[in-house]
Amino acid sequence: MSDAYGFYTDTTVCIGCKACQVACHQWNELPAELEQQPSEHGPGQTRPMTGNSYDNTGSFSDVNWRHVKFIEKSDIPAVGTTPASVSHSPQDPNRDNLQWLMMSDVCKHCVNAPCLEVCPTGAIIRTEFDSVYIQEPVCNGCRNCVGACPFGVIHMGGSGNAGQGTAKKCTLCYDRMQHGLTPACAQACPTESIQFGKIIDLKVRAEQRVKDLHDLGFPQAQLYGADTKILGGLNSFYLLMDQPEVYGLPSNPKLPSRAVIPSTLFSMGSALLVALGALFAFRKKRMDEFATDPAAKER
Amino acid sequence: MKTEVFFLPAAAVPEGAGSFTNTQRLLQKHEKAVDPPDDARTDLWFTYKLGVRLKELYQNSSVPHDGGIKALTWSYIDPEENKPWRIKDEPSSELVMREINGYTVADKKVVKGFGDLKDDGTTACGVWIYSGIYAPTTDHPDGFNRAAARTPGQIISPNWGFAWPANRHILYNRASADPAGNPWSERKKLVYWDANAPATDPQGKPTKGKWVGIEGEVPDFIVTKAPTTPANPKGVGLDYHSGADPFIMKADGKGWLFAPQGLTDGPLPTHYEPYESPVENMLYTKAGRNPVAKLYDNVPGNAYSPPGNPDYPIILSTYRLTEHHLSGSMSRWLPWLAELQPELFVEISPELAHEKGIGNTQLVNIKTPRATIQAKALVTKRIRPFVIGGKTIHQVGMPWHWGYKGIAHGAVVNDLSALVGDPNVNIHEAKVFVCQIEKA
Repeated sequence: MSDAYGFYTDTTVCIGCKACQVACHQWNELPAELEQQPSEHGPGQTRPMTGNSYDNTGSFSDVNWRHVKFIEKSDIPAVGTTPASVSHSPQDPNRDNLQWLMMSDVCKHCVNAPCLEVCPTGAIIRTEFDSVYIQEPVCNGCRNCVGACPFGVIHMGGSGNAGQGTAKKCTLCYDRMQHGLTPACAQACPTESIQFGKIIDLKVRAEQRVKDLHDLGFPQAQLYGADTKILGGLNSFYLLMDQPEVYGLPSNPKLPSRAVIPSTLFSMGSALLVALGALFAFRKKRMDEFATDPAAKER
Repeated sequence: MKTEVFFLPAAAVPEGAGSFTNTQRLLQKHEKAVDPPDDARTDLWFTYKLGVRLKELYQNSSVPHDGGIKALTWSYIDPEENKPWRIKDEPSSELVMREINGYTVADKKVVKGFGDLKDDGTTACGVWIYSGIYAPTTDHPDGFNRAAARTPGQIISPNWGFAWPANRHILYNRASADPAGNPWSERKKLVYWDANAPATDPQGKPTKGKWVGIEGEVPDFIVTKAPTTPANPKGVGLDYHSGADPFIMKADGKGWLFAPQGLTDGPLPTHYEPYESPVENMLYTKAGRNPVAKLYDNVPGNAYSPPGNPDYPIILSTYRLTEHHLSGSMSRWLPWLAELQPELFVEISPELAHEKGIGNTQLVNIKTPRATIQAKALVTKRIRPFVIGGKTIHQVGMPWHWGYKGIAHGAVVNDLSALVGDPNVNIHEAKVFVCQIEKA
């Protein structure tokens, strides 16, 4: 295999412009998610706003392979959840701890990819660039990968698989990469928050950036997925300014195969317990019969 | 004079070729991407047709003062350029740019720059500041449109677009060198005096020493005027300046901290509250609001709220969103952009939302002395109330760009704003004004 390629996303310089989402839609010819698509009869109609900061697409979907998250993090509780505890003093110093975090989320192209592991048809493959790619004509729509992905990346959609839809996600612009082009999102990113390149080079750059941020007085700066701890490493790794959970990322996701031995043992153990329970139950029944039926004693 | 207003079906920017100029004076060409639909045409097309009709109207006139229109050069059609398109009578912006650059009347050859222009009628030029944009080169003896040049550089990029005047990318760049002509900092070297460089003075005589720019940056200074040149107190124009006066467009050649003349206000900057404010002006209590602001009190529906008016106690600040372009008239029709900001909203602090009983995404009425509109609430801790003089004063924020048509549509925030102009150039002051909000 040649070198591994992927993304290093520096969330500190993300400005939330969503140019990556639009570029992804455009290159991959993905439609917007509207209440009513434009037609000759009308201009179309958007879905209602979510009210969750400036995020109006909400999550990944079959047509949203990129998703820019807007996280308004502060020490005071969210409005509406506990109205009584809302601070009414604008001078509350906790207000100053407000952070508006932005992060362009995408498929992580995991080195040990759970989706690839559970795919029964071999539709999900590892490319020569070490990216994880869904061959849609081979997908039988079983949805195993949807549940296996710890990041909620994969969704079903499209007209493949005899109209039943196939698994959809970021291709790392496999078609562009085969022609030596940068993925559309990274090319569109105006602040170089999304950087594309050889993983080995990106890691050097990311580690230097973390060091610089630490030196500037941001000890919370950390890399996510740059080492092998998370699923053998993520070929789309992140520089975060808080714990992964703040960004909605799992701090310790597991491969489905890791659950095979413990769950086998657990199943065996529970089977044993059921068997023992049954034995004891029958034994108790016989004992009870002895206790209540004098005739049984005589037998 | 009686006037009549015509609505013309305007083409959008990508539907015609042309150039745009940004605030650093850089002209960049944009190509035509697609024909405009139906009867829509470019501004250039309408202007060209108007000229053609005027010339037709006056062609048989024998009145001397109509001679100007009769003699007007007005041929801008290049059939070759229009070949790929449906619209065959679109004027060529290239030919217009060539004329703006200037040429010698006798042989129609493009001039190198405004230095070649003469006031004896032998040369013609559309506007001197753009002269040189179509200058000839060895490769293009008939000139080429530098607005279309796309060679990136390191710092200045002189071969990317054309910066007016004379492709000077940084104005007054002689100020990047100290009075003696040496760079203030080697790291930030831009334009400096090279005492040993062979040069030619304005009279055409060979001399030594000239101003040099890195990466081809054009010095904004007389190239052979040495830093040691003394000022001539009786000189006119640039002769009045010494070789150490970089600000050549100023009368004295110096940089100014304040403008002693020409402004309605000034000379020093100061602070006034916006024309509509929930508080009185602390700095000038007697003057109150800006006494020289341009007001439109006689315009119907443009009532102003006085400072501290309890009916409109909330500050309304306005801004733009990255998903929209200008008024949104183009971007709100694009599904990929419309879905990202689907509805007009008003950003409200949790404190104000609590006070008014407004929940996130609930409809809100926003009222000013001009109008009342509706928008959904976006309750966010990013909006923080002020405490001014011990009193809590709330602010809300609203983005521009919605309108009644498009995939994403909503109320027009400009219905709320007040018409107030700044005293010098009439820039719309009312980006911020006062309002009252309530649950709809």
